[in-house]
Amino acid sequence: MKEHEQTLVLLLAGGVGSRLNVLVQTRAKPAVAFGGIYRIIDFSLSNVMNSGLSQVGVLTQYKPLSLMRHLGTGDAWDFTGRRRGVKILPPRTGSKDSDWYKGTADAVRQNIDFIRSHPSKEVVILSGDHIYRMDLDDMLQFHRRKQADLTVAMMVVPREQIHQFGAGITNDEGRIVEWEEKPPVPRTDLASMGIYVFDTEYLLRLLAEDREATDFGMHFIPKAIERDNVFAYPFHGYWRDVGTIQAYWEANMDLLREDSGISPEAWGIRPNLEADGRPADRPPARFAAGSTVRGSMVSAGCVIEGEVINSMLSPGVRVARNATVRDSIILHDCIIEEGACVDLAILDKRVVVGGGADIGCGERDAKPNTQYPKHLYTGITLIGKEAVIPPGTKVGRNCIVEPGRSPDGFATGKIPCGETV
Amino acid sequence: MKKLKPRTLAMILAGGRVDELNVLTAYRPKSAVPFGGFARVIDFPLSNLMHSGLEQVAVLSQYRSYSLINHIGSGAAWDMLGRYRGVSILPPSKGYGRSDWYRGSADAVFQNLDFAQYHDPEEILILSGDHIYSMDYQELIDYHREKDADLTIACLRVPMETAHRFGVAEVDDEDGARGGRIVQYKEKPSRPKFNWASMTIFCFKPKALYEVLAANAREDDSFEFGRNIIPRMLYEQRRVYGYKFDGYWGYTRTIEEFWRANMDLLGENPKIDIDDWGIRTNLEHRSIRDCQPLKVGNEAVIQDSLIYNGCTVEGTVERSILFPGAFVKKGAVVRDSVLFFNNVVGKNSRLEKVVSDVNVTVGDEVRIGEEGDAAAKEATVVGWNNLIPDQTVIGSDCTLYPTLTPEKLARTIRSGEIVR
Repeated sequence: MKEHEQTLVLLLAGGVGSRLNVLVQTRAKPAVAFGGIYRIIDFSLSNVMNSGLSQVGVLTQYKPLSLMRHLGTGDAWDFTGRRRGVKILPPRTGSKDSDWYKGTADAVRQNIDFIRSHPSKEVVILSGDHIYRMDLDDMLQFHRRKQADLTVAMMVVPREQIHQFGAGITNDEGRIVEWEEKPPVPRTDLASMGIYVFDTEYLLRLLAEDREATDFGMHFIPKAIERDNVFAYPFHGYWRDVGTIQAYWEANMDLLREDSGISPEAWGIRPNLEADGRPADRPPARFAAGSTVRGSMVSAGCVIEGEVINSMLSPGVRVARNATVRDSIILHDCIIEEGACVDLAILDKRVVVGGGADIGCGERDAKPNTQYPKHLYTGITLIGKEAVIPPGTKVGRNCIVEPGRSPDGFATGKIPCGETV
Repeated sequence: MKKLKPRTLAMILAGGRVDELNVLTAYRPKSAVPFGGFARVIDFPLSNLMHSGLEQVAVLSQYRSYSLINHIGSGAAWDMLGRYRGVSILPPSKGYGRSDWYRGSADAVFQNLDFAQYHDPEEILILSGDHIYSMDYQELIDYHREKDADLTIACLRVPMETAHRFGVAEVDDEDGARGGRIVQYKEKPSRPKFNWASMTIFCFKPKALYEVLAANAREDDSFEFGRNIIPRMLYEQRRVYGYKFDGYWGYTRTIEEFWRANMDLLGENPKIDIDDWGIRTNLEHRSIRDCQPLKVGNEAVIQDSLIYNGCTVEGTVERSILFPGAFVKKGAVVRDSVLFFNNVVGKNSRLEKVVSDVNVTVGDEVRIGEEGDAAAKEATVVGWNNLIPDQTVIGSDCTLYPTLTPEKLARTIRSGEIVR
């Protein structure tokens, strides 16, 4: 127990995650809803909690309001108490260093005062962007055993994905001997998960040494492996960066499969239900006579009269009679009215799909979104927060409907594939 | 300026009797019995109090209080945490002079008069924690104030055939459908002549309550509101009024009534609309906040049911209510049933009209309850912490006591049997 008091956690939650498109229009990526009742950051926060760590700084920058509301006092993750706490660390202006966070290392550097005011032996730095379960205590033990200055959590990924990550080559004892940040040509399949354990003294020295360096992976690690003790902590298991619409959709679908073994509950992931706008007084999900539900997850407060197949439903979703939801992610309090159909779509909170409307019509391998071809190209259609789709409207594949769209944006009644409203 | 200090003090009688609901109340008071897929019976009066803006509350508990204390927690779940908001649990206590268990509902309040006097309220609302209904107590209190009554009782008209089960009043038509003066009152009369049943919701003028309780303690040998206090107040010609209520009232004193109240949560227009009623519960209790959303398998069938987070359904669930942690495996059928927390129904098992308490594991290919129309048979009740072996056959109208040893279940249990 005492040892944990010597470890400080910094959770980087400032990323824009712009490839999540309209989902991050009003919130930071870590605050995006996931798995029905969770937000992405719940996975990191719960991992920290379950590892027995209890001093946490959350570095925010981009649209932090919904994140701050979600964290609240930190009570949901047991971070309240005499020697426990979660603090929000937004960028600030000061006599020097007054600027927005320019990168991971820069964000940490700008909070050196926080690190100094919470004396620690190690600092654990991780991002709030990933879906996984990991015992950080085990990583800490590894770090101490190896007497490392820096330990980087790394896992094997398919070679064709290595260009998105920091890639490392290790020797027999687990020491990182070579490092490439986002290599165009893969030479290894060992990728950094963006989870670091630093000896606190070492981290402070590193940050003071080179004041121009702003990113751990890009600037610090290549230099550190040359002269210091840098080790790779091997991780095996489920880990997803849900930074793209496709990855976000797939990771949600992973939770639905029978025997997939991926269960936030079994992983000990805790949501903060109280902060979700409405307090936690959602009644059980109600299934009407004549409803059909298969291969799905359904949260409390949902009312299902129609058909739900292979979909993830957040609290308070209503699926009316003869309506169908298939292969989709429906966030809080959406209403799918009678006879409507939602196929391969992501609906942000409080979307209303009018009676008989058809979201996701046409062949699934339609042309990519014209405006954001790199965001939407696998057939998924994205409906922004509080959008209202008029009855009978047909919305094709790879479409984007901006948040809060009033019905008059749909004059034609038909949105062809790849269009943005 | 709005008066911050609450004018009304609410006291909930949550003592509960031992044998009221068979094995379901073997280890908990009636008010702590699970209801509605995620809540407890006492959540109904607590949520009513919250919605009525009455947030200074005392809970009088005696029987097996632990699950109740645990459930109420800080009171934050019902917003009852703040400068003038709070829930106090008042168990029996020892002291100078008297050290007794609560000898009845009136005695429970009498032994805590110091608590009431300390708060110095303008009204004391005393209500039972055992019933399922939605009521704005503020309307009752307004009526009470208007009439300058010493006592106002919420009354519900019940069929004359069942009136013998209740305390019944004759309420005159002083204010038509809203209420009237109580002319006569009889506690559970064998031949009832009037049928306004007391809902055990009493609004007292504190001074009148203090006087009557003191006299009751001095002169009587029974200490119940229905049997002693109301008749005494009528005898003393105090101002006793009936506030007429005409909504749903779930009065569940038998397993059949309990089962039926559960079924009232279902259907196209449920009589108990927990969403509309705004029922809140303490999500910390049994850690139900940690439950993931319901997971529905690829071959599952769910019809006319309520299912909370934390369940997994791979089989068939019809007209049933599943509390968190229920796992209905492939090929299993759960019909007309209520499964409390952490039940497992094994592969190809069939449950027909079963009420199953927490931590019951039903093995594979088990049959419990006869097939056919639910209204034509009695429910089988399974007490908590039971493990029912594979291929066991159990009839309808059976009672299985909590924590049975395996050999007691290693046989066919015919309808109507009690296994203890």
